[in-house]
Amino acid sequence: MLTLKEKRIRRLAIGFILPALLFFLLLNAYPLGQVLWDSFQIKNLLNKAVDGFAGLQNYKEVLRSEYFPTALRNTVVWTVISVAGEYLLGIASAVALNQRVKGRTLFRAMIIVPWVVPIVIAGMTWTWMLTPDYGILNIWMVELGIIDKPYYWLGELNTALLTVTFVNIWRSFPFYTISLLAGLQSVSRDIIEAAAIDGAGVRRRFWHIVLPQLRTVSLTIIFIHIIWTAINFDFIWVMTEGGPLHASETLPIMIYRYAMQEYNFGQASSLASMMLSFMAICIALYYFASSRRQRG
Amino acid sequence: MKKRFVKWSSGLMGALLLASALSACGSNNGKETESSSSLGGSESASAALDAATSPVTLKFWSALDPSTDQGKAIQQKVKEFDDSHDNINVDLQVLSYDVMHDKLIAAINAGDAPDLSWGLSEWFGEFNKLEALADLTDSFNAWSDKDKIYPNVVEALTVDGKLKALPNYLGIRALLYHENILEEAGLSAPPKTWDELLNNAQLVKDKTGKEIFGIAGAGVRSPQELIMYLAQNGVSLAEKQADGKYKNTWQDNQDQLAKASEVFQFYQDLLDKGAIKPDAKTWGWEEEDQNFVLGQYAMVVDGTWIEGRASENPEGMKDVKIAPPIYKGSPATFMEIAPLFVYKSKHPQEAFEFASFLMGADYQKAVNPSAAPRTDVVDGGWGKDFMALASQGVVFPPVSLGGITQAMEDSLARVMLKKEKPEDVAKQLSAAINDSLKNSGELSGS
Repeated sequence: MLTLKEKRIRRLAIGFILPALLFFLLLNAYPLGQVLWDSFQIKNLLNKAVDGFAGLQNYKEVLRSEYFPTALRNTVVWTVISVAGEYLLGIASAVALNQRVKGRTLFRAMIIVPWVVPIVIAGMTWTWMLTPDYGILNIWMVELGIIDKPYYWLGELNTALLTVTFVNIWRSFPFYTISLLAGLQSVSRDIIEAAAIDGAGVRRRFWHIVLPQLRTVSLTIIFIHIIWTAINFDFIWVMTEGGPLHASETLPIMIYRYAMQEYNFGQASSLASMMLSFMAICIALYYFASSRRQRG
Repeated sequence: MKKRFVKWSSGLMGALLLASALSACGSNNGKETESSSSLGGSESASAALDAATSPVTLKFWSALDPSTDQGKAIQQKVKEFDDSHDNINVDLQVLSYDVMHDKLIAAINAGDAPDLSWGLSEWFGEFNKLEALADLTDSFNAWSDKDKIYPNVVEALTVDGKLKALPNYLGIRALLYHENILEEAGLSAPPKTWDELLNNAQLVKDKTGKEIFGIAGAGVRSPQELIMYLAQNGVSLAEKQADGKYKNTWQDNQDQLAKASEVFQFYQDLLDKGAIKPDAKTWGWEEEDQNFVLGQYAMVVDGTWIEGRASENPEGMKDVKIAPPIYKGSPATFMEIAPLFVYKSKHPQEAFEFASFLMGADYQKAVNPSAAPRTDVVDGGWGKDFMALASQGVVFPPVSLGGITQAMEDSLARVMLKKEKPEDVAKQLSAAINDSLKNSGELSGS
């Protein structure tokens, strides 16, 4: 039996929760539910004469699409290489910026620049720099003897995706740097010094003392970035629009094409639902794994 | 436990009711008329009086570039119209074409489209299929200047006898060539046919170190160029059938399939014989225009807007001349009719009044002196040579083009990047066009 005071506190708590709940229902739950619902409907805005329940037809059509395997493979390549590259660059720069070097504050401020540049501006600037006819990077690479003649990095089937991935790594690694730098600063110097006195070398101290203490922050940012990268749309769209010939097309670009070029919201929703389900499974696995770890 | 459930469920119901109320507040304007018609007698009369006296606000979405002289002229003219009409306010919004397209799709489906907007010719079939466009036939026929608009332009914007859009400007394509580059190669005039072009490719390369031609192998312009080459060889993307719907008939007719294959063979030859730069196979319109303006190659099929870019390379652009596009079977060029869309709105009369101002001689002389859709505006300079090609202009069929233009772009990549056989590419494109027509319910026999 609740006392009057407890009831009042509970009502107050509900009052505070209600706006958030309302926004969640309106802005998250309802659209997600609608996408799931639409994925089982025939919903083509250009052909309203045909509608109704589609069953699994939309899913079948998407899976049968000529470009689905390419988009799936591209999404995996784009995500894995991006996150791995960002993490490696991030931890290397974080370790460097954690040293007591002159101008450390300036370097720490400068390294954040790629991350604060808007994606559209970064994408267009890199596109211009990579242009074969007047792009500065091609000119430099030819002058340095790295390549014989200018190369169309974003226009060739075998380099378009990897080039956009490289630019994405350049843009995103500062987030890792900042997060890992914060983690590094919490590593006890006493332990590191004690290990050094005991004869542990630089590499041994890094692998066996520093890195294990960055485990939580590393897992968190890697996990977040797997999701952010897999669902990223704007960087690829700005730089290649998924081309040439779908060579850099990922699943979010494919969803956009279904929805905004073909107006087939049924198939767009089915592909979005597949991505949503996959992400939900990943989150659930991560949640259970981390819960089990915490329980010991 | 039960009480707690009841409390929570009533809380949830309250939230849902509030959500419903909120969403009702945000519903589209189209319902205003319905609710006002249910007012009582005196309230209704008062509302009618207010409606009669208060000015109408027209929402107008444009893709003008405010940094250019043309953009400034448009803003000035729209303001003049606004100031001179007490009963009409124009709410001008400036958006890029990409953003505008996606916003229009969302707005049309939410029942909240603007009154008028600019657009691309590729959107015409889609918006017509979405039943978003007003029937302008009667208003246009009553307009005093209707005979000043090119008849084939009006015809291209007419579907089933109804005029469904107006022309904003014309982007007729012509062959632009750097006379000095051709003269350096010993050519006194530009090639007239595909074969002449290919036969002279090596000569120009040897004598000048530059390529003879430029194309857009990717992006929005590549399908526009492809449809032109198809028309020059006597084939079209989709033909209207007896049932009023459309179909690509290449695979039903070996002669058409052979002609379509020749077009893709032409693209392959351009690349293999060095008539175009190797990178041109994936150039978009930006690279195509930029490289021509900088004099990196000799000739291109392009629009009047290149004249406005002469300031980027004044010396190098002095020698640019205009000629009809090269062809194979019969002369043809792409005629981009940039539409002015007038949507089904609550103010059709005011919307057409504003639209007719935008098509008027005064506005077109100020804004589109070289690209006006009127016969009485373009009388000299570059525009005259371009407009002379209006009669051989081809346009996209009035069907939903989203999937079709993507398939056309893919077909160029297959033939130039993957080096697939032209005949196979033609067959694939034919099937992809019919698939797209089937999905949008526009395929004949479906």
